[in-house]
Amino acid sequence: MNREQIYEWIVGVLHDTFEIDPADVKPESNLYTDLDIDSIDAVDLMLRAKELTGKRMQPDVFKTVRTVQDVVDALYDVMAENH
Amino acid sequence: MPSAINRAWRVVATAICFASFGLGGLLLRIAVFPCVSLLVRDRAQRRQVSRRIVRFAFRSFIAQMRVMGIYTYELRNIERLQRGGLLIIANHPTLIDVVFLMAFVRNADCVVKAALWRNPFMRGPIRAADYVSNGTGPDMVDACIEAIRKGGNLILFPEGTRSVPGRAFAFQRGASNIAVRGALALTPVYIECKPVMLTKGEKWYRVPDRAPHFVISVGEDIPVAPYLQSGLPLALGARRLTQDLEQHYTQELARHG
Repeated sequence: MNREQIYEWIVGVLHDTFEIDPADVKPESNLYTDLDIDSIDAVDLMLRAKELTGKRMQPDVFKTVRTVQDVVDALYDVMAENH
Repeated sequence: MPSAINRAWRVVATAICFASFGLGGLLLRIAVFPCVSLLVRDRAQRRQVSRRIVRFAFRSFIAQMRVMGIYTYELRNIERLQRGGLLIIANHPTLIDVVFLMAFVRNADCVVKAALWRNPFMRGPIRAADYVSNGTGPDMVDACIEAIRKGGNLILFPEGTRSVPGRAFAFQRGASNIAVRGALALTPVYIECKPVMLTKGEKWYRVPDRAPHFVISVGEDIPVAPYLQSGLPLALGARRLTQDLEQHYTQELARHG
């Protein structure tokens, strides 16, 4: 998956899991302040990410994540390690 | 009593009550709780005893403030709290709401700031009473569910902090997530205090013109089943429940007021 596809995937997950309007999501959107994600939601998001990558996200990696683009980059790195 | 004198008296009385609260807390820490941990070795039993002591202490404090004329209060449908394994939520207008609830709820459990668990003065009683720590991040949801399944009555303030008078309710989603993920009904408590006292950002000595009257009423349980439909992600169920709770509290408090 390239970064663009990962981004599309995240927009879809945010919509299905949290009913966040895709029109509200931008790469620079802050998950916590712009998209109203809380720490409990972040765990759900990590579970969904695990389904995608087949790998458990390290909690400390997710702690450094702030924006949608950060998530894309983190997932891209995890998936790149697989190859 | 002329209102100026009454008001001055309530400032003095509040100072005395705060001092006795601190003193009582110190006494519990240095005298009572060391004895409890020495005498009661079984953990579950120690939890029960500790919670009973805390409840007694808070009841005494509530009574002291009433006797000294700081406020009056009435309780409605309080018998609804005399059960076990409840998820109790309440709005949070004043500093002493938690004292009221811990005083009237049997086997009361609450979430305590992680910093207090490391505080050498506080951690003895907090550990003995086996309260939930907020230091575990999202794992706190599971810890809360487990505490309720063990029969404790968990008290939560979904606003997270004291209400801002005149502003619409904004609930955090923790309580809803506990309800949805634990399939637990919520027991709502509505706290009214008129005129308001000990609100957020207000100095303790700025007492209102007349002694406030508290009304603490317990509503009927709010079932969680409507938010647990199959195919609905839990996070969405929790969001809908949170919105409905905000609306519910707005309506109920408007009806009472």
